[in-house]
Amino acid sequence: MSDLTLEQIDEDGAIQEGIAALYGDTRADLFRKAALGGTAILAALAGPPAAFAARSKTRDVAIFQFGLNFEYLQSTFYTEAEQVGTVARMNRQKAFWAKTLGAHERAHVAIIKKVLGSAAPKKPSFNFRGNTDTESQFTKTAVAMEDLTTALLTGIAPTLEDRHLTAAAFSLLTVEARHAAWARHLAGVVPIVRAFDRRKNLDEVDRIVASTRFISSLRPKTTTKRRPRYTG
Amino acid sequence: MILPGRRGVRSAGVLVLSAVLAAAVAGALLLFGASARSTSARQLPGGHSDSAALQVSLPSPLKPSFVPPTPLRLSERETARWAVVQSPVAARAQPTLDAPVVTRLGRLTPEGTSNLVLVLGTQARGSGGVWVRARLPVLPNGTTGWVPRSALGGYQFVHTHLVIDLERTTAVLYRQGRPVFQADVGVGKAAWPTPRGEFYIRNKLVSYRSPSYGPFAFGTSARSVLTDWPAGGFIGIHGTDRPDLLPGRVSHGCIRLRNSDIVGLARLMPIGTPLTIK
Repeated sequence: MSDLTLEQIDEDGAIQEGIAALYGDTRADLFRKAALGGTAILAALAGPPAAFAARSKTRDVAIFQFGLNFEYLQSTFYTEAEQVGTVARMNRQKAFWAKTLGAHERAHVAIIKKVLGSAAPKKPSFNFRGNTDTESQFTKTAVAMEDLTTALLTGIAPTLEDRHLTAAAFSLLTVEARHAAWARHLAGVVPIVRAFDRRKNLDEVDRIVASTRFISSLRPKTTTKRRPRYTG
Repeated sequence: MILPGRRGVRSAGVLVLSAVLAAAVAGALLLFGASARSTSARQLPGGHSDSAALQVSLPSPLKPSFVPPTPLRLSERETARWAVVQSPVAARAQPTLDAPVVTRLGRLTPEGTSNLVLVLGTQARGSGGVWVRARLPVLPNGTTGWVPRSALGGYQFVHTHLVIDLERTTAVLYRQGRPVFQADVGVGKAAWPTPRGEFYIRNKLVSYRSPSYGPFAFGTSARSVLTDWPAGGFIGIHGTDRPDLLPGRVSHGCIRLRNSDIVGLARLMPIGTPLTIK
C-alpha cells in the first residue's frame, strides 16, 4: 500500500508544497511560496500576553498562543466539512471519525482559550480552498494536518518551561497522534510510517501553514459609510 | 474448510494446547512471585532496600496544567454559507469552463464592499477542481450560476433567515429556525413592486447622512424593475423619515422599517443572511 501522494491533496498545489516537508521533499519551493502568499500563524499573533503571563513563562505563553491558532485551524477545518455537508455524505464509519475529530479539536480550542484568557489571540479568517468540499480532499488534508500536529507537539512539548504545561501538552500529543493514525487508516495509507516520529519547531510549522494559504490575511469588507443608492 | 471427520480431533488438540498454556502461565506467576519476594528482602549497602530505592526513583505523574473538556459536538441547526468573490470571474450555466457565461462577477459591490455570493452547493469535476453553485445578484432575479471554488474566499456561515411577506407587509427574522424579530414594513407600490423570490443580504451601510434611509441600510441581491436607477436599482432594507406611512405599499421597491426596528434588525442580522420575499 503506497503512502499519500501530495498531488492528491490539493489540486491547485497550494497545500502540496507546504505539507511536502512532512514527507521529506525539498523545501526550496516551500520557502518561496511562504514568502509570497498566505498569512502564517506567527504573523497572526499580536499583543503581549496578559494575565496568563503573570503566572507562566513568557515563552510558554507564546507557544500556547501559536498552539491556539493551530487548533483554530484544525477545528474550523473539521467544523466546515460538517457544515457544508461533506461529512454527511460519508459512510457511517468515516462520518463518525470526522465528527469525533471535529469535536476533539473544538474542545482543544475551548480549553486553550480558557488557559490563555485575555492573552488568547482572536480567531483568524480561513479559506480551505476547496479542501472541505469533497470527501477525498478532506481526508487527505486531514491526514496531512494531523501528521503536522503530531510533529508540532512532539517538537514543542519538551521545550515548555512549566512542567505542568508539558504534562498537559503530552495529553494533547497522544490524542493527536491517534487522530493521525486513525486518519491514515481511513485514507488507506500506513498508520505509522517510522519507528520514531520526527519533530518540528514553530518556525517550520509556521512556514508550512503559510504555504497552504489556509489562513487568510483579508477579512471581507461588508460594512461601509457610503450613502445608500437603493431604490428607496 | 473443516472436514466433518476432523472436527473432533481439532477440538481435542485445542483443549490440550489450552491446558499446556495455562500451566505455563501459572508457573511463570509462581516464579515471578518468588523472585519478587526474594528481591524485596535483599538489603542494599547503607541499609536501604530495593523497594525504598524504587520509591525514590519513580515520582508520581505530574498533574497537567489543564485537561481538555468533553468533546464539543456540533448541534443540528439551519446553516447557510456565503463567500466573497476573490478575483473577477465568469459565472457559468454549468460547472465547466466551456459552458455559457451567465454573468461576470467583480470583487466589489456598487457600495464598495466585498462582493459576495450565497453558496447553494458544490460539485467536484475531477481535474477541473471544485465548482460552486451560487445565487447571483443579477437580473433576472433568482439567477444562479457556477463559479470555480478557487475564485471565492473562505466560507462564512450564518444561522439566520429573513422572510418578507408582501401580503402581510411584515418582516420576520429567524435564527436556527425560530423567530427572533418581527416588524411591520413598507414595500413597493404597484408600479414598482418589490420582487418576490430567494435572495440574500449583501452589505450593511452605517453612519451615512440621509434621513430618508434612516440610521441603517442593508443591501440585498434583489433587483428592481427600475434598472436605470443609480448603481443598478438594487433593493435595500432600510429605515425611514416617514414612519407614519408604515405598514403599506409606499416605496420604489425597497423594504422600509421604522428606525427603531431597523436598529433592532441591524443588531441581529449578519451579512449573508438568506432573504425570502413572498
